[in-house]
Amino acid sequence: MLNGTVTSVFGNDINTDDIIPAMYLIKSDDPEYFATYAFVKFDAEFRNRCLKSQANIVVAGKNFACGSSREQAVYTLQFNRVVCVIAQSFPDIFYRNCLANGLPLITLEDTSGLGLGDQLEIDLDAALIHNRTRNTSLPFQIKTDDRRTFQAGGMTARVRAHLEEILTRQG
Amino acid sequence: MGQTLVEKIVSRQAGRPVHAGDTVERLPITKLFFNDVIGPPAIKGLANLFGETFKRHGKPVQVFDRRRIFFIPDHSVPALSVEVAEGVDLMEAFGREQGVKVYREGDGIEHVVLIEGGHIVPWDIVLGTDSHTCTNGAMGALAFGVGTTEGVYALATGYLYDFVVPETIRFELTGTFGKGVYSKDLILHVIGKMGAGGCSRRVAEFVGDGVRRMSMDARTTICNMAVEMSGRTGIMPYDETLAAYLKGRAAWPVEPIESDPDARYADRLTVDLASLEPMISFPHKPANATPVSRVQEMIARSQAQPTSDFPAVVSDRITDAFLGACTNARYEDLVEAAKVMRDHKVHPDVSFVVIPASRKVYERAMDEGILQVFIKAGANVESSNCGPCFGSHMGVLSRNAQMISSSNRNYQGRMGSREARIFLASPATVTASAIEGRLADPRKYL
Repeated sequence: MLNGTVTSVFGNDINTDDIIPAMYLIKSDDPEYFATYAFVKFDAEFRNRCLKSQANIVVAGKNFACGSSREQAVYTLQFNRVVCVIAQSFPDIFYRNCLANGLPLITLEDTSGLGLGDQLEIDLDAALIHNRTRNTSLPFQIKTDDRRTFQAGGMTARVRAHLEEILTRQG
Repeated sequence: MGQTLVEKIVSRQAGRPVHAGDTVERLPITKLFFNDVIGPPAIKGLANLFGETFKRHGKPVQVFDRRRIFFIPDHSVPALSVEVAEGVDLMEAFGREQGVKVYREGDGIEHVVLIEGGHIVPWDIVLGTDSHTCTNGAMGALAFGVGTTEGVYALATGYLYDFVVPETIRFELTGTFGKGVYSKDLILHVIGKMGAGGCSRRVAEFVGDGVRRMSMDARTTICNMAVEMSGRTGIMPYDETLAAYLKGRAAWPVEPIESDPDARYADRLTVDLASLEPMISFPHKPANATPVSRVQEMIARSQAQPTSDFPAVVSDRITDAFLGACTNARYEDLVEAAKVMRDHKVHPDVSFVVIPASRKVYERAMDEGILQVFIKAGANVESSNCGPCFGSHMGVLSRNAQMISSSNRNYQGRMGSREARIFLASPATVTASAIEGRLADPRKYL
């Protein structure tokens, strides 16, 4: 069960340059470094809002995190204690980067039932968002493979097992 | 049922027939490359994530196949900081240790040098740690960007995991371009029609007579920007032009590929190239595309109804111009831009930066007197790298800047200050605008 507060609501086509501008990428290879510069050119208050909550949920419109393949966008969210992003749609590269890093993404066609400050309880197994503030329940669709990967916190364990197979075969 | 290009490529690599919507749990890839932004953390990630596994098998950390992996320092070189310089050092040391090819700083941009070197061929599955990896789709390959972690997985095992075969939208291009209209104008037009998310999760397959008549340089520009409408990638079939390009160049066997006549597409669209005029994308997204004849209308609209990704543009004045990046700085791009530049000067209020996309392009343009045209006109010609597209060096923008660029992204703050305004256009339109100091139509110079 994921619990958190909606601390940001964005529109359509938020890009990864909005989340973490390109120029910061070359300054560090420490995943935690980027959190300080989250949305620095787009929504400078983002980090302050996140700091006030133990578990943040981002709500967005269509095509959240389009653009660059930078995985730093995922770290930027995770190290600002974002536990889940709920959006109307996600492009492939960001979606896969979130699978790899275990940041749960929920695709919800109609996000109008979610607003700033709402307390949410998200049940990935039941594919249900319970909005405790409004006392409503919102069902969503999620592929079983994706749900398992999000719950496992990423894909690395599986890849490690595959590498074991390969190395064993090589002898 | 027939297959699209992508369905065919994935079927071969997966060893079973697949169609859109199928999931391939383990998909072997054939080429993998890293730039100076993601290469260093990926090298560290390989040891961190898999070092123990190799150790348990009594083996040193090793890559899955050294012949299929490339490191290309291009984003921030010649190194703009100590961090970047040390990252390049790390890639070079890793390359020596693993026997993997590492390009030199200034050899060029990742999406240009691998194609030039014959490393990308039809049927390849290419992963690169950069979203514009889709450029390589012009070679009849399935190519797309991945993040650091998936890059590290592939580095260790040579596989991509849980790959969902995407649907395809078929874009049939007919007719020929009019004077001063190029493949960049076509793709800006298409992105404008589709919107920033219009091709989301789908592949853009470009086919037809219009494609067949295009050079490889022109084709790569189109595939490069498929991701700007959120396409999974762009792709084109094999034909005589690609065959001729690969002859004497391909480092791997070349086999033809085309989609089946009865392949199933999510959508089919036709564009008549003759109907297009030069296009300009307004800030802050590539989908804000307008024909050059309607610039004033677009400015008025931006003032009447500004939004966060379509802000008010005060005037058509240009302060900065950039001819470069993986989108448009190949040989033919420089040739066309030089036709516009010849006998003119860069406007006194404009800083014009020209960066050939690779060392090979640079040398050829120098030998043929093309670079000299820009230098004598007052442009700054720099060694091959991504330039200001990345917002880090070689022409970073101030808050007062209005930039016209041949690159692929005009997001807010992308090339410097968040107040700067960035317009996208073809090399010819960029150059005409650099001459006039305002958004300009290149056709009167040709």
